[in-house]
Amino acid sequence: MSMMDHCKDFLSWLDHDTSLNIFKGMDDPADLARVSCVSRSWRHFVIANGLSKQLCLRMFPPLSRVACVVELNQHGVKEHPEVGLSNSMEWLALQKDNRVYGCLARCCMSPVAMDCIAGRFSYWSSNGQINPNVPETLTYQLGSQICVIKEINIQPFQAHFQMGSPIYSAQSVRFKMGHQKASLDSLADEMFVWTYTSPEFPMAQENRLQTFQLPEPVLCIGGILQVELLGRVQRQEMDGLLYICISYVQALGIQLSPAFSVEILDPSGMFVLKRDQRAKCEPHATSDDESGMLNENLLREFRDFRRLLMWEHVMRIGAENGWDEEDYANGDFDFDFGFDEDVA
Amino acid sequence: MAAEKSSIKIITLIAADGSVFEVEPNIVKEMKTVQSYIDELDQNTVSIPLPNVFGNDLAMIIEYCKKHASEEETKEAKEEFDFEFVKRMKSDDKLRLLQAASYLNMESFLQFMAKAIAAEIENQSVEFVRDYFQIESDFTPEEEAELRKENEWAFK
Repeated sequence: MSMMDHCKDFLSWLDHDTSLNIFKGMDDPADLARVSCVSRSWRHFVIANGLSKQLCLRMFPPLSRVACVVELNQHGVKEHPEVGLSNSMEWLALQKDNRVYGCLARCCMSPVAMDCIAGRFSYWSSNGQINPNVPETLTYQLGSQICVIKEINIQPFQAHFQMGSPIYSAQSVRFKMGHQKASLDSLADEMFVWTYTSPEFPMAQENRLQTFQLPEPVLCIGGILQVELLGRVQRQEMDGLLYICISYVQALGIQLSPAFSVEILDPSGMFVLKRDQRAKCEPHATSDDESGMLNENLLREFRDFRRLLMWEHVMRIGAENGWDEEDYANGDFDFDFGFDEDVA
Repeated sequence: MAAEKSSIKIITLIAADGSVFEVEPNIVKEMKTVQSYIDELDQNTVSIPLPNVFGNDLAMIIEYCKKHASEEETKEAKEEFDFEFVKRMKSDDKLRLLQAASYLNMESFLQFMAKAIAAEIENQSVEFVRDYFQIESDFTPEEEAELRKENEWAFK
């Protein structure tokens, strides 16, 4: 008579919503992976309710813009049919979601944190301004179309060769992430669609790599990062104008390529999430050689690179496309070219 | 009907082991199973047998309901209570209380217990989960091996 004699497996007697709440209470993708191995009914519950996908969505709200999920290079990869369950189209789609989002969640949980900015870059300077409120933006192509950014590190530039060694930091910084618009019909159009804007972080007027940790890891879809430098604090003595100069920018996080890629569908901003079955799930630190190759690929992709340079103050994709004399001459900042050696 | 309801002063709950609890009507409001039983009766004093709930568990549930029904308690005090309440429960208590909450149809206590059960599963091995919920694996050895390989990363 007593319920204590009942089966302890709550899935067999608890109402659906409460069972769902128990599974949703698990925030670690590894927990979800393990409970899906407990029994057929548990596995079925995890897959049928799209729990891997829901966990990913809770971790990274931008995933709500996934229009569909595609698995690449399935050929040669062994399928695991769920025995005893119908292989209807709907069920196959749920299984695919479970595989793809499970892998995505796992990649995103990786403790690896590497610089996601494609290529290396060093010094950048703004033009001189009278008004301290004129902002500046630095726009970067990240090394992967889809990555998780955890923190951004910026080192302001100190001009040791100037009187008093002034540090040309900004008052505060803010970060935006998003993707490039596919069509650039009019030059007046914004080139990027921003899907994330961080809070504003105060920046110290100190010559060190300053860490700006995002409130939570951000999934950047489209691989564009913009650093907004807000407020000028340092005047250059010789022309009396305010400048912002940056030695170094780093965006630490996880690059999800080559296991994952995205195809953004304009103008909705929805995207197709692609998982390459052949690529390993774990993100790995890219060696220098690999990042060099990546840069060349990115350059080919960037049809409108020159226009980007015109549009934004600077768009850095690899050292070879950095500052050139012409651009430098446009700035009023009176520097020797020897300054790079001063930068740590 | 409303007048009859308000005339009920004390409700007596009788647990599976015979232990008796006398509670105010506002305490049982949370227990929908009990409340619907009361609503059907028109006696001044109601005695309700709960053959699926043990006395110890019922005492804990009533304690929880009293704390959460109280209007004098601050939100922080209630959170602090919940925290201590979870700490006090043993693994087996949690499962029984989940069953009791489900049987008594207690919305918020059920969600509270769902969280406690989820915490119990967190960071545990497949073997622990099977053991805890007394689940026999119904995968074939080949399927089991395949699943383990596929989810190897999650098995530390």
